[in-house]
Amino acid sequence: MIRVLIVDDHSIFRSGLRADLDESLEVVGEAAGVDDAVELIAATIPEVVLLDVHLPGGAGGGGAEVIRRSGTLLDRVRFLALSVSDSAEDVVGVIRAGARGYITKGNSGAEVSAAVTAVAGGDAVFSPRLAGFVLDAFGAAAGERAETSEELDRLSAREQEVMRLIARGFSYKEVASELFISVKTVETHVSAVLRKLQLSSRHELTAWALERKLL
Amino acid sequence: MLRPPLVRPRAVVLAGVAAALADHLRWPVGVVRIAFVCLVFAGGMGALFYLWLWAFVPVEPEPASTAGSPITRRVPAAAILLGLAGVVDLALVVAISGSNDDVVNFCLVAAMLSGGAAVAWSLALDRGDPARTTRYTYVVRIGAVASLLIAGIAVLLSRPTALNAVLGLVAIVLGGAVLVTPRVVSLWADLMTERSARVRDEQRAEIAAHLHDSVLQTLALIQNRAGASSEVARIARAQERELRDWLFADDQPPAGDLATELRTVAAAIELDYAVRIEVVSAGAPIEPADPSLVGAAREAMLNAARHAGGEVSVYLETSAGAIDVFIRDRGPGLDLSALPDDRLGIRESIIGRMTRAGGTATVRPGIASGTEVHLHLEVARD
Repeated sequence: MIRVLIVDDHSIFRSGLRADLDESLEVVGEAAGVDDAVELIAATIPEVVLLDVHLPGGAGGGGAEVIRRSGTLLDRVRFLALSVSDSAEDVVGVIRAGARGYITKGNSGAEVSAAVTAVAGGDAVFSPRLAGFVLDAFGAAAGERAETSEELDRLSAREQEVMRLIARGFSYKEVASELFISVKTVETHVSAVLRKLQLSSRHELTAWALERKLL
Repeated sequence: MLRPPLVRPRAVVLAGVAAALADHLRWPVGVVRIAFVCLVFAGGMGALFYLWLWAFVPVEPEPASTAGSPITRRVPAAAILLGLAGVVDLALVVAISGSNDDVVNFCLVAAMLSGGAAVAWSLALDRGDPARTTRYTYVVRIGAVASLLIAGIAVLLSRPTALNAVLGLVAIVLGGAVLVTPRVVSLWADLMTERSARVRDEQRAEIAAHLHDSVLQTLALIQNRAGASSEVARIARAQERELRDWLFADDQPPAGDLATELRTVAAAIELDYAVRIEVVSAGAPIEPADPSLVGAAREAMLNAARHAGGEVSVYLETSAGAIDVFIRDRGPGLDLSALPDDRLGIRESIIGRMTRAGGTATVRPGIASGTEVHLHLEVARD
């Protein structure tokens, strides 16, 4: 059983999601605001927090603030952002704060459950839209490519291929068979991209975030 | 026969009361005027009746073609009142040299009333009337100030008995007030306009935030509870899209950009078919959108919506030398070579169109299921 905490200020959505989630997931609690969420996470230590991006309370930082204030627990608690918003600033803000993935609320219960399971297993969850943002923000579409594997500011050729396929709507399994690699390798690439997204000091990414007052 | 309604016309002599009444009673307007004047001598009844009608008879609504036109008055009432103030001033000076304090007081009050009324009239009733120029308003104001100051100072200098002095001071203060009133009025009006604009903006932002947190969430919930291909989900999705467009109208990329065009096309198709099309784009915006590329992409999306339904992914990537569009569905898949020749959809409107535009279109089966159409167009960009 994977222990899940749902954080969303919309009670109808919380109960709807709770009813829709797979049976292998145990919902240990629900929180409606930033302060509630931080307290409840510290008290219950769930494996995965399903986190809305826009939340009332706290200093007004929403989901990203919840992650930052739970910073000491990040190695035990994983965050999966779940939002109606698909604007770039929301996505990038919450991922850079430390979320392991981003899905939109249009996804079905089964899809959300699969994403939760993936995040609990240590994988990153990329929606097609997030992959599109990543390709854009790292200049992949403009033809930039990392030369070494240590480089944080650009994507390697393989990472770009993986991101492109995800953006085209491929599942990890489909990406794997398209590129003749194992699913595990795909997951490794996605995690590497997530790490770059969180750690990169890439000029555009920072400027982009600063412009929208994310950092 | 029905009588015309009792309304005051918009082009009037003084207030339109006599004209309104004459029109309503079907009497000559001259008769009505004479009747009013006669009634004034019956204990002031005519004047009271006139004022009462002025206050309660509505003004004729303006015709739509000349919306915003002010009421025009033929008689320059403000100037006449100002003239009256001047006459009263003269009378006052004469009365000061006499010995009757009551006459002085009466003249002083009359000067204040007529001067104040002149300014009030020109500010309140002559506003926007093209026949009353700025200069006219200015003259009325200065004249009124002068008349009030003259009256006040003359009384204070010559006959400072208690009541006279107080009234004289009041006249001077009133003169000062008349001088600054228009400025205060216009400042006040500006303040009110600004405040209401700010309130409107705040309200809009608040509504947007509220809708974002509540209605969008509910629409999302409806969609995933109802299943992607149901009628309800389709309506909810269309509504969500409309609401989003309205909420974030300001940060949309300019229309005519390729990604925006593809999103518009996708939205239109979603309205007609049980399908959810997610459009993802990366790279610099392309303007203007190539019509044959948009047309081919539209045809591919339509095919996916018709034959596959469910979830369709569209990915647009613009790089330095080329535009790539991928349209991918998860339907039963199709075999291009097995297609009958009369299926013009793919052969003609996708592949043919792209070839004519100097690009390529490839249709291939998806990995596990479905079909993927790849449109590729080389572009020369600097």
